[in-house]
Amino acid sequence: MHISEGVLSTQILIAGWAGTCAGVALGLKKTKDYKIVRTALLSSAFFLASLVNIRIGPSSTHLSFIAPMGLILGWGAFPAIFVALLLQAVLFQFGGFIVLGANTLAMASPALFVYLIFGKIIRNSQKKFNVMIFSFIAGFLAVILAASIVGVFLGLTDKNFLTAIKLLFIAHVPLALVEGLATAFLISWLKKAAPEFLF
Amino acid sequence: MKKSFLIIFLFVLNFENPGFAHGVGFREISLKAVPLEFFYSTGDKMSYCEAKIFSPKDSKFAAQTSRTDERGRVAFIPDVSGDWRVIVNDGQGHQCEAKINITEEFLKNENKIMNIKKNSPELFIRALLGVSLIFNLALLIRIKKNSSLLTPNP
Repeated sequence: MHISEGVLSTQILIAGWAGTCAGVALGLKKTKDYKIVRTALLSSAFFLASLVNIRIGPSSTHLSFIAPMGLILGWGAFPAIFVALLLQAVLFQFGGFIVLGANTLAMASPALFVYLIFGKIIRNSQKKFNVMIFSFIAGFLAVILAASIVGVFLGLTDKNFLTAIKLLFIAHVPLALVEGLATAFLISWLKKAAPEFLF
Repeated sequence: MKKSFLIIFLFVLNFENPGFAHGVGFREISLKAVPLEFFYSTGDKMSYCEAKIFSPKDSKFAAQTSRTDERGRVAFIPDVSGDWRVIVNDGQGHQCEAKINITEEFLKNENKIMNIKKNSPELFIRALLGVSLIFNLALLIRIKKNSSLLTPNP
């Protein structure tokens, strides 16, 4: 889901950096001491997830863990995703430095969105079935939202990207389903085994 | 008079547009190429990706612009010795750069070929380095947030 260097217009790049700087600053401010180690843990998971490919039909993709990052870290998802993407650009040559702001915004905003919408519901939910359903929706929505934001960025840059955007969106639906399932199992397990992780 | 002008005009036209007189053709040549294969960390091939090949003479403008084939392969024929760079980009955020040192021996068609320089360490080490950096950064932030960790308790 990384956007390559040299694709987006200057306005989108600036908007991406502005949103990311604000998100990272707020994330660092709102991240409490006891959440720092888990932020690092999930940032590492996000960083490494790009190396684990999943074959879906003729193509392959990789998990992103956007929704679990949002549900566990809240605002802390912004700095966690920023650092992971920065290191992916440095060490694996995924994405790039100039486009880092836009890439962070595209992936961290959905994490924050699912936290704000589903975080409280999942925390207060007592039934395992409800936790699984809401977590699945959160995981599914996070990927769809991230793909949509990437699509909007590309669409605002150049209308010729419309076909690519449609393909990008279609390609991410299977990943959204896989992420939804992974989020549902992970969050319901955390809710049972280590509920303090969701607070 | 008019005829002579017409002849001069046609003569000039012929010089100005050499394309009129040129045909195209091909012949088989036996030069040694450098074939490379590009792949993702998962083993999947980087198929049909844009490949830019930079000669040691010019690092800004590509000497050759091409695409990898279905198996992620691309080849070029070097004409000068030095470090050649091949950059393959899939347009989806993944880019791989190979630096190939072409020796004089290679150009003379001898067996000593070239050294492929590895710019960066293996994937596993890079992944480990990344995780280590993340945890070190977390520790730094924690220390900065809780400065009491730096000062001994009275």
